[in-house]
Amino acid sequence: MSTDVTTALLPSSGEAERQHLTFVVKGETFAVDTLCVREIIEYGQLTVVPLMPAFICGVINLRGAVVPVIDLEARFGGVRTATTSRTCVVILETQDEEQPQVIGIVVDAVSEVLEIPLEQVRPAPAFGSRIRTDFIQGITKINDEFVVLLNVSQVLSISEIAGLVSNPQTAMAFGSARTALPQRSL
Amino acid sequence: MNIDDVLKIFIAESQELLQQMEDALLQIEQNPHDPDIINAIFRAAHTIKGSAGLFGLDAIVSFTHVAESVLDRIRSGEMAFNDTLTALFLQVCDQLNALIAHVDAGGSLDELEPALQKQGVALTTNLSHYLSGELAVAAAAPQRATQVVRESSDTPNEHWHLSLRFGPDVLRNGMDPLAFLRYLNTFGQIVHIVTLTEHVPAADEMDPETNYLGFEVAFATEADKETIEGAFEFVREDSQIRIFPPNSKTVDYIQLINELPEEDLRLGEMLVRCGALTQSELEKALLKQSEPEASPAPIGEVLINEQNVQPQVVTAALQKQKQVKDNRTAEGNLIRVDANKLDQLINLIGELIIAGAGTQLAAQQSGAAQLVESTGVLSRLVEEVRDSALTLRMVQIGTTFNRFQRVVRDVSKELGKDIVLEISGGDTELDKTVVEKIGDPLTHLIRNSMDHGIEPASVRLERGKPAQGTVRLNAYHESSSIVIEVSDDGGGLNKDRILRKAIERGLVSDNQSLTDKEIFNLIFEPGFSTADQVSSLSGRGVGMDVVKKNITALRGTVDLDSIEGVGTTTRIRLPLTLAIIDGFLIGVGKATYVVPLDMVEECIELTSDQSSAARQSTSDYIDLRGDALPFIRLRELFAVEDEPPRRENVVVVNYAGNRAGLVVDQLMGEFQTVIKPLGKIFDNNRALGGFTILGSGAVALILSVPGMIGAIAQRQAAPSTAMTINS
Repeated sequence: MSTDVTTALLPSSGEAERQHLTFVVKGETFAVDTLCVREIIEYGQLTVVPLMPAFICGVINLRGAVVPVIDLEARFGGVRTATTSRTCVVILETQDEEQPQVIGIVVDAVSEVLEIPLEQVRPAPAFGSRIRTDFIQGITKINDEFVVLLNVSQVLSISEIAGLVSNPQTAMAFGSARTALPQRSL
Repeated sequence: MNIDDVLKIFIAESQELLQQMEDALLQIEQNPHDPDIINAIFRAAHTIKGSAGLFGLDAIVSFTHVAESVLDRIRSGEMAFNDTLTALFLQVCDQLNALIAHVDAGGSLDELEPALQKQGVALTTNLSHYLSGELAVAAAAPQRATQVVRESSDTPNEHWHLSLRFGPDVLRNGMDPLAFLRYLNTFGQIVHIVTLTEHVPAADEMDPETNYLGFEVAFATEADKETIEGAFEFVREDSQIRIFPPNSKTVDYIQLINELPEEDLRLGEMLVRCGALTQSELEKALLKQSEPEASPAPIGEVLINEQNVQPQVVTAALQKQKQVKDNRTAEGNLIRVDANKLDQLINLIGELIIAGAGTQLAAQQSGAAQLVESTGVLSRLVEEVRDSALTLRMVQIGTTFNRFQRVVRDVSKELGKDIVLEISGGDTELDKTVVEKIGDPLTHLIRNSMDHGIEPASVRLERGKPAQGTVRLNAYHESSSIVIEVSDDGGGLNKDRILRKAIERGLVSDNQSLTDKEIFNLIFEPGFSTADQVSSLSGRGVGMDVVKKNITALRGTVDLDSIEGVGTTTRIRLPLTLAIIDGFLIGVGKATYVVPLDMVEECIELTSDQSSAARQSTSDYIDLRGDALPFIRLRELFAVEDEPPRRENVVVVNYAGNRAGLVVDQLMGEFQTVIKPLGKIFDNNRALGGFTILGSGAVALILSVPGMIGAIAQRQAAPSTAMTINS
């Protein structure tokens, strides 16, 4: 990551603070720029899409549009989060090759919208973080707690996700390996 | 209105007209004297010229003008179409297409590529040979308008000619003819005047209060006929006032008539509109026409006899009238609609269907009989609306097919083979988006057939075939797919050679036994070059793998049949529409999936005996009335982890002649579905065809049967090739 993250974050107008939505995943607090948040909805009526990477939970019907939903914890390499009554889906909008893409992310709980002073945002440490460094836009401290500002376009990179299912044979094998093959070998 | 929008319409229209012109030119080879076809060609050229003039595209106007002049001579019977002329006009078509494409790309016509410019000059010179000298000069003039101006300044007779015979009582009525002449000077200039005195009697018989004089006046003015006539308003009743327009005006009138909007006008109205006739003259003529003793002459004749209008102007008007009628019949009742608006409508209808399904579900749950009934009626209507909305997007494939007449004609000349294209099933309809994308693959296939398929005439005669080769294009519907066939009566494919080549390339192993069909379809594999197969013209028109890729992108399939020495048939199978389908709902685990209904053949129960027997034998097929039916367990494919139900069902699907069974938990019946596109993330998932939203609001997945079967076949084929490599 470049060291001048703070300047990169600064908009041309020179505003010193940016509104961020903070939420909790597996006890850790993350933040995303409110500009890419479309809405927050209750978790529910999710349709599982088979033969996809595990972090893709499925799709939901968002007022007539089919929106894919991603499990953030699984995307970071962990296991899928168990749903609770506070589980939410945050609908984000990202730009992928100039096309707006709408994707939902599953979070354990949504906390609040905060003004984060940009001068307090530090670049991601080169190592030591649990998640891939290119997912991190910066790190800041709120109430003595580290908050990771997510790089939404990287976390929800359409081309990267689509690439994970590019080979039908691996996708098929991926799907059937878990149940079909052990049974067949009997 | 934005000029760019209008220009776009012009470009689209011109391209359409050029297509019509090309079609007509190809037809004219068979009937060189058919006036309808000649008129169609002329009309196309004429309209393009006219519209191009509106946009100031002078290069197109002047170029088309030459072509039009030649066409005019053909139309008038001075010459006839022959092969050279047809070929020349096909080139004219191409040139116009290139020019219009240049405009479309935003280029200026003043800075054409040298090649295009050279071609234009060459064609113009060529065309000029068919014109008499005087016309050729006219053609060279950049704009028609300047032409008209020049004519009027060159000719001496550019003044209005007024022939005035004032009535004998005009003085008694208090009017002085001289006053009228003076009045004329207020809006023009009397260039010359001749006083007619032959009616003046001898002095003693003369009544000083009677007018005996007539005048012939040459009058120069900018005013129109109506104004001039207005000057004589008070004496019109008992005088003979004739107003002859200058010669240049005649040309103007004719041009105006040609530029009148395409409305169904009466002859008289038309003449009044362009100013050749005034309203009062028309009324007078009509009155005359309706006089009981007058012979029932047409209004045109009456007007000419009365010397109100020149015969040329009437002829032009009559021609225009006919043209309007012709166009009307040709256009039928077509309306041009923006494709986006249509898409929006279809999207809305999609939403309507989803909402309707939800309502129906709610009605059924409520159990109110009346409500259930009315929602039933509603959903039937919605279904009808859907069907008719979808047909709006449907176009006949004939237009696309006809385009290939030209390809076949050109390629056969190039190859020196005599090949004819036969077209059938041109009225088969399919979605416009599909039509647009099918052109390239078809061109590939047709070129291939002509180049590699059809033998030279000598070989054909030797084999007892007619010297003329035939390429056939056929289209028909088959269970909500459209099938397009490209066939030829050529040499067919050599099985052994393909197989040898494939083994050489490592596409198949020596000991693999393949059916004929499998061997033929090898030529669609990437990297399979047919270069060895043909010595002549190798390396062009090949790329069968590209054909296959294009068709697969449209969710279609392609396969090939061939009999050596008899011919080859390539079959392309495409979905009819990409928007809405009738689906069959199935349940696997907790999830609901949709299979396109037209692929479902039947549903049978999978008994637990059969199921376990299949598991025992490690082969996934069951006995369907004596046939082995391979099946896919969707539970396993989709890695559903919960316990299977006691009873499973098999949905027998059929796609492109392949039969397969899908083992599912539940059969849930038919459902009309709107296909929502997969979106980039899921694009690579071949088992999926799209999403849809159920009445309950949940998303269901539409299974892509060919994709799923293809992926599984590949997966199972992969280990076997791996084994052969090892051995």
